[in-house]
Amino acid sequence: MQTSFIHCVRQGLVAGLAMLAISQNALAETRTIETLYGDVTVEGQPERVVTLYEGALDSAIAVGVQPVGAIITRGGQHVASYIREAAGDIAIVGAPGETNLEAVLALQPDLILATRQTSRDQYELLSQMAPTIVLDVPLFRQDTWKQELAGFARALGREGQANDVIARVGHRAEEVREQVTGSIPQQQRDTSLVRWMPQGPLVMSEGLFSATVLASAGFEVEDGGIVKEGRPHSQPLSQENLTLMDQEWIFLATINDDGREALDAARQSPAFKRLKAHSNDRVVPVDGHLWTSASGPLAALAILDDIENALSQQP
Amino acid sequence: MTELLIQHRNIAATLALVAALSLAMAMSLALGTVSVPLDGLWDALTGQGNAMHRFVVQELRLPRVLAGALTGAAFALAGCLMQTVARNRLATPGIIGIDNAATAFAVASVVGTGISLAPSAMALGGAATATALAFGLAGANGTRGYRFIIAGLGIGAIAGAVTQVMLSRVAIDAANAAFPWTVGSLNARSATAVSVLAAGLVAGWMAALLLGRSLNTLQFSDPVAINLGTRLKRVRALSLACAVLLTGLAVAVAGPVGMVALLAPELARALCRSGRVPLTASALAGAGFMVTADLVGRLLLAPLELPVGLITAIVGAPYLIWILVKPSSRSLT
Amino acid sequence: MTDYACQRTPASRALVPPLPVAVFFVLAAALASLLWGAGPVGAVEALQVMTGQGSEEARFVVMELRLPRLATAMATGLALAIAGALLQALTRNPLAEPGLLGVSGGSAFAVTLAILLGASSATMTTLVAQAGALAGCALVMLATRSRGLAADPVRLVLAGATVTGLLLSLTSVMMLADQRAADEVRFWITGSIAGTSLADLVAVLPSMAVAGVLVVIVASPLAALSLGERAAMGLGHRPGRIRALVVVAVALLVGGATALAGPLVFAGLVVPFIARALAGPDIRKTLWLCLPIGPGMILVADTLARVIGAPAELPLGVITAMLGAPVLLIIVRSRRMPAL
Repeated sequence: MQTSFIHCVRQGLVAGLAMLAISQNALAETRTIETLYGDVTVEGQPERVVTLYEGALDSAIAVGVQPVGAIITRGGQHVASYIREAAGDIAIVGAPGETNLEAVLALQPDLILATRQTSRDQYELLSQMAPTIVLDVPLFRQDTWKQELAGFARALGREGQANDVIARVGHRAEEVREQVTGSIPQQQRDTSLVRWMPQGPLVMSEGLFSATVLASAGFEVEDGGIVKEGRPHSQPLSQENLTLMDQEWIFLATINDDGREALDAARQSPAFKRLKAHSNDRVVPVDGHLWTSASGPLAALAILDDIENALSQQP
Repeated sequence: MTELLIQHRNIAATLALVAALSLAMAMSLALGTVSVPLDGLWDALTGQGNAMHRFVVQELRLPRVLAGALTGAAFALAGCLMQTVARNRLATPGIIGIDNAATAFAVASVVGTGISLAPSAMALGGAATATALAFGLAGANGTRGYRFIIAGLGIGAIAGAVTQVMLSRVAIDAANAAFPWTVGSLNARSATAVSVLAAGLVAGWMAALLLGRSLNTLQFSDPVAINLGTRLKRVRALSLACAVLLTGLAVAVAGPVGMVALLAPELARALCRSGRVPLTASALAGAGFMVTADLVGRLLLAPLELPVGLITAIVGAPYLIWILVKPSSRSLT
Repeated sequence: MTDYACQRTPASRALVPPLPVAVFFVLAAALASLLWGAGPVGAVEALQVMTGQGSEEARFVVMELRLPRLATAMATGLALAIAGALLQALTRNPLAEPGLLGVSGGSAFAVTLAILLGASSATMTTLVAQAGALAGCALVMLATRSRGLAADPVRLVLAGATVTGLLLSLTSVMMLADQRAADEVRFWITGSIAGTSLADLVAVLPSMAVAGVLVVIVASPLAALSLGERAAMGLGHRPGRIRALVVVAVALLVGGATALAGPLVFAGLVVPFIARALAGPDIRKTLWLCLPIGPGMILVADTLARVIGAPAELPLGVITAMLGAPVLLIIVRSRRMPAL
């Protein structure tokens, strides 16, 4: 009932947008978006979009907008590799937390999508260049990315596409979930998500984006209660406490594109060798840029692909 | 006659420093990802001409250049005061732990809240705390001699360790947000902190000038200075308070850029060899140095920016090693 | 001048009472580091393991995690304490400490550079760390030649602190340039022996052994040197050669310790200070006492780092800084700088 309602609305919107695209110059549609720093009005279809947040880049491309500028992924030299191709010939305008405002201005944006951590000072400068969207969406929740996608898509005038994309991700998650539930018994779906450091692992929170994707694919993500309230990203762990992260599965993230190196380093540790995920060969090395830094629908699809791959490599 | 020559030399040096500072500021306003032609610069500053140039110059670059000049001047003046009081050219606020403590307090506020929420007051609090502790722990004779310096070193080491712990134990996002702070950057400055610094710099500079004559006598030994009518205790305490105020406020804007406090007074002394403590010249040299270093940091890896503290450290390294290893070191006495 | 310094020093004391006490201290510290950690295995379970009982998990934690770590901590503490004592005797400066003078900083800088250039911290060579330490030492020795530095203990430390600050900034530059390096270095740079394996220790041992031999060779000449260059030459020693050997020994020791545990400040200050307080200024006696006290101190610091930081761990460097800074203050607060 509800889905069909959304479907109707979506159909209507798509039709409306198509008409708008035709009569764009004659009649600019205006939308008001609620943001952290008050209501922001956007006119028509923005064409020069700059994204200052990995989730915003992902959302924009997912709804069919090619941003002209973006920041590098944390610790990388360019945007994250999973989205590099889709992003095309995009200009780099800084690093997370270190935006080069002049580079943003030089791109002459007509819309800026920024991270929730943008300070008021920064916001005020950015909003003089173009309408700037800083969404007031709580981070580290199950549906954070959906709310962000909806907000950014509204600013981009592409809510219809956003709903399509959410449906596509949901469908894909369902597909992978069926494979997971089909091949792995219920009691063997516990998993933890860690970064391996020489001193011991960094355990990622259950609320992290990739953890929520794992959950949607049928895994039970556990952080052993060690990632505390108010520190919602990760928590380092002493090797003596490795049993706290000992689940059936371990997704091992690394900042290198090739996760093998981190896995080899981990395997040299006697404490790591004792983990049951290791002895069952269920340690899955994954790209840290994608798994611990990115968010958004395309990232979700890429993570679901990783999960499917991991399953196919199981005996 | 000699007196007159020295006077002339000082005036010439000051004028040269003002000219260098102006040039550095003009370059810094003109150059960047969006380059503004020099003849368009004046129009942009006075609110005419190309709208984009106006925005770039007035909103983006001017506040940053001013912040750079102010922090550079404050660090350098604080360094010059401290060096004179401690009679040691290496005894700058950065070395004896004041920067470190101010940073530790500021980082605590950044990582504690997740977003940079006015760490200015925290930084000043940290600077004052470190100095008070160093005073207290050094025992009765206050700023005199080595005890104060070594106590400061110890406190600085603890503050540095605490900063490291905070950074290694918070979420990576928060650590990244705080990182420019720990190396010194003009990118995350807050407007309030800059205006507080401006007021503090004017007050500190005037106080330093008032202390000037007494500070000149500190270049001799204690008995000579006392004979010349200097009230040592008072002069030392006042100069130190000045230095703490300036350092705390400057760290609040830009983080620890300690090298400026070491290098700028050196440059000023080299330019005006007059036997006087070159307070104003140090401030001017510091301002020029900082603005130039920030410009280099913006241009080097564009569009990514290098924090200014890293540039000053790289520039300072060869010079520091030189003064350490040259056989008869005038600079250390 | 040196004869004068010699006259001022307090009379040498006997080694007999302090040495057994110190040995007892290190044994107690070693036991404590096996009994307590960041994990759920407590003292009772650990004791059961030692008597051949206990769960498999407890056995693993005690034998495979805590025991190798104990060995690493002892090697680190020993190296830093001996290096500190040597450096202080060489510069005649009670504040001369590898961490404060920038020797550890040079070592850390070299290692970060190596990681940036592609070495991973697992394969990080001790050699790189030792080369960095040697460069740091060389800088210190050059600096002591400049007028004013050699005579004044504080000026040397100030120069060292400046160099250390500078090296840390440069290390930050590299971490900024390469996030992978930052990732690997961020924890190591604060000083920590978590996650070092026995293989790391074995890699360091040969150079430590070489340094040990050097120490045995230079101990007596160094003691003679403290009587003055002429006295030493009269006894048939060559001051230049002694100094060079000491510098090499210090570089080997500090580089090895830094490769294991990261740049630890103050460990080399506290231990020789206590040793001198117990046994008087003779470098040979100081070195004897450093043998048990150095490992003991790092063991205590490491155990504290694990217990306080659970379920993670605090960096070891933080604990040594907290323990060391007060000793620094005690030294400067004493009426006059103790002469060496």
